Amino acid sequence: MATPAQLGLMDAASPVMEEMIYFHDHVMLVLILITCLIFYSMLVLISSKYIYRFLTDGHVIETVWTVIPAIILVVVALPSLKLLYLTDELDSPQLTIKGVGHQWYWSYEYTDYYDIEFDSYMLPLGDLNKGDARLLEVDNRVVLPVDTSVRMLVTAADVIHAWTVPSLGLKMDAVPGRLNQLALQCSRVGTFYGQCSEICGANHSFMPIVIEAVPVETFEAWCDAMLDSE
Amino acid sequence: MADVPAGRLPKPQMRGLLISHLKRHGAIALVFSMGVTLAYKLAVADPRKRHYEEFYKNYDVKREFEAMKEAGIFNCARPSWEQAEED
Repeated sequence: MATPAQLGLMDAASPVMEEMIYFHDHVMLVLILITCLIFYSMLVLISSKYIYRFLTDGHVIETVWTVIPAIILVVVALPSLKLLYLTDELDSPQLTIKGVGHQWYWSYEYTDYYDIEFDSYMLPLGDLNKGDARLLEVDNRVVLPVDTSVRMLVTAADVIHAWTVPSLGLKMDAVPGRLNQLALQCSRVGTFYGQCSEICGANHSFMPIVIEAVPVETFEAWCDAMLDSE
Repeated sequence: MADVPAGRLPKPQMRGLLISHLKRHGAIALVFSMGVTLAYKLAVADPRKRHYEEFYKNYDVKREFEAMKEAGIFNCARPSWEQAEED
């Protein structure tokens, strides 16, 4: 999860999020280049005591400062489009999970191999244990096997919500009457947090998402435990 | 100033001052901005990529999972000392 005074993106926990971070660095290079150019130009212009009285036009420089930004845009757009299509790639998912947004909780269904359904409510302040994150913990977490391609189908039962997990680079609107698909793959074990990202009423800020990425054996044991408890 | 005879200043540039200024400051601006960009790439972007590569090169899922489990991170897999207490 994000830490206090954090400035950058969260550490990536999926290959797609890693690529997003590298793309962010790429765009930052372009922005730094432009900002430094403009900053130096402003410095020179402000500190200069000369004015060129006979300046009327500058066809060459106008062509240059049209073509160069166009090239810069292409340099940004090409990796951007590559990443955009990468986020949509779903290569033979081994598991499909449905996430349904409600006011104001999420419910999950694992109906591939088992028939597991549960609701995921935010833990109120009084139920938190020492060290738990306020407004981020839930009673039932989404458990996923690590290093496994998962298809996440997101929808909603009432109003539009959005299922988000920043460290996995995931955000998808949960729209009633529509199934949106997400490709999900956790590269490392751990817990990953997210929050509803589409205004959905009074408790929009109080319906978080928590994912536990665990080894396959642990995931199977959890599935068995869930089936037994039902 | 010590090497100029008294009463004579160096002749200022009378023509093409704007062009010469543009060339000079344009070059400085380009070098400055590309230098800062290269510094960001070498100090931030490339080390970050290397850091991720090194992290996953010898990443042991089982070892990391056991460490996190014993720390009580997961709800689906409780630490062994908690299970021992229950027993």
